[in-house]
Amino acid sequence: MNILLLNGGPGDARGAVCRRIKSAVEDGARSRGWTVTAFDLDGMNIGPCRACFACWLKNPGVCAVKDEQEPVLRAMAAVDAQVWITPVTFGGYGPALKKALDRAIPNILPFFIRIRGEVHHPLRYEKRCGFLVAGTLASPDEEAERIFHHLARRNALNLGGGATESVVFHGDMEEAAISTRVKDLLGAVGEAL
Amino acid sequence: MNAPTGRAPGNRKAFLLVGSPKGKKSTSSVLGSWLMAKLEAGGMATAAMTAAEALRSTQDQHRMHKAVDAAELFVVSFPLYVDQLPAPLVQALELVADRRKGLLPASPAAGPMVQRVVTIVQCGFPETRQNRAAVDIMRQFAKESGFEWAGALAMGMGGAVAGKPLEKAGGMVRNVVKALDMAADALLDGRSVPPEAEALIGRRLMPAWIHTFFGNRGMKRAAKKRGALKRITDRPFCRAR
Repeated sequence: MNILLLNGGPGDARGAVCRRIKSAVEDGARSRGWTVTAFDLDGMNIGPCRACFACWLKNPGVCAVKDEQEPVLRAMAAVDAQVWITPVTFGGYGPALKKALDRAIPNILPFFIRIRGEVHHPLRYEKRCGFLVAGTLASPDEEAERIFHHLARRNALNLGGGATESVVFHGDMEEAAISTRVKDLLGAVGEAL
Repeated sequence: MNAPTGRAPGNRKAFLLVGSPKGKKSTSSVLGSWLMAKLEAGGMATAAMTAAEALRSTQDQHRMHKAVDAAELFVVSFPLYVDQLPAPLVQALELVADRRKGLLPASPAAGPMVQRVVTIVQCGFPETRQNRAAVDIMRQFAKESGFEWAGALAMGMGGAVAGKPLEKAGGMVRNVVKALDMAADALLDGRSVPPEAEALIGRRLMPAWIHTFFGNRGMKRAAKKRGALKRITDRPFCRAR
């Protein structure tokens, strides 16, 4: 199984818990014999989406912005599961992860279809993918966490997701506890695929 | 009636932050500007900026902070991107929140002026409910940054406006206009967006099947015009592997 890991945590001390989660994912995947392609998004040259829609209507599937997003798009099209790691930002995702996700529209088609009673865009690459979305918060916040879990489910629906798990880790969590939880969730995503 | 804002009448200010990458030509700007014009007619001074502008330089960030500090009403208008706010808007709001968290004890925001956030969000899909996570995120932003939440105007089928002035967007958007006008009246009175305005703007502009039929036809026509119709379902990364 191939996994894409997008770490949207800041490259400085604020991203420490995100990096702990990243290590746990890499260890967990390796122990199962899975291959991991990882990107630390905060240090990458990825600009925001320009909403030019050239990737739909001019050069289908190809983003007009030439920067370090292309290998991310390529991996998104090929993997069996994606792991997203981000600081929980007002219940949503931080800007580094969000930028990479906004720029993923070349991998969907411009058409509209109905999925579970709602209109969505079909995928350009039909591969059904599992998702594990992991957030970090300095301290528990029930509402922010509710929004985060809801958002992860919405994203999975939009991206034709199969098994989807989401989790929020707090700043004071021990490395061992993070590792155990991540391995359990990875296992759940992997088994469901 | 004037709001209990702690501001003298005549000194009331509203600030619009547009989250669309299309900036001032966007549907987000059109909807936000309509609301701002109504607020201005009601006696508020208004200012506007895009999230991209705010992130351009430290001077521009400072301009944004200054405008937010001075505003009784902070209006945030944006398109739905992957079920939530576009990345540059998240980044701009994070700057606002960080600054307010750090400066709250001494900042003007901690004074007698009540500052409120109202949001306008639109998606290209027919179902207004697809905006729910984005509205929740904006409410959470207000809570974490010490703003009072003044409500949201969420709509589907934003493509019906497509960046055109609302006067020229046709009868289909009459409920959108009514809702924005109702919201402006309430906000000028110091009230939140009324539930009637939320319901009105959230109404489907057309049945979902018509949206899908014409939407798909429109996409094909647009691709044909650019000579890309035959390649519209191409998978460039499959070819490359």
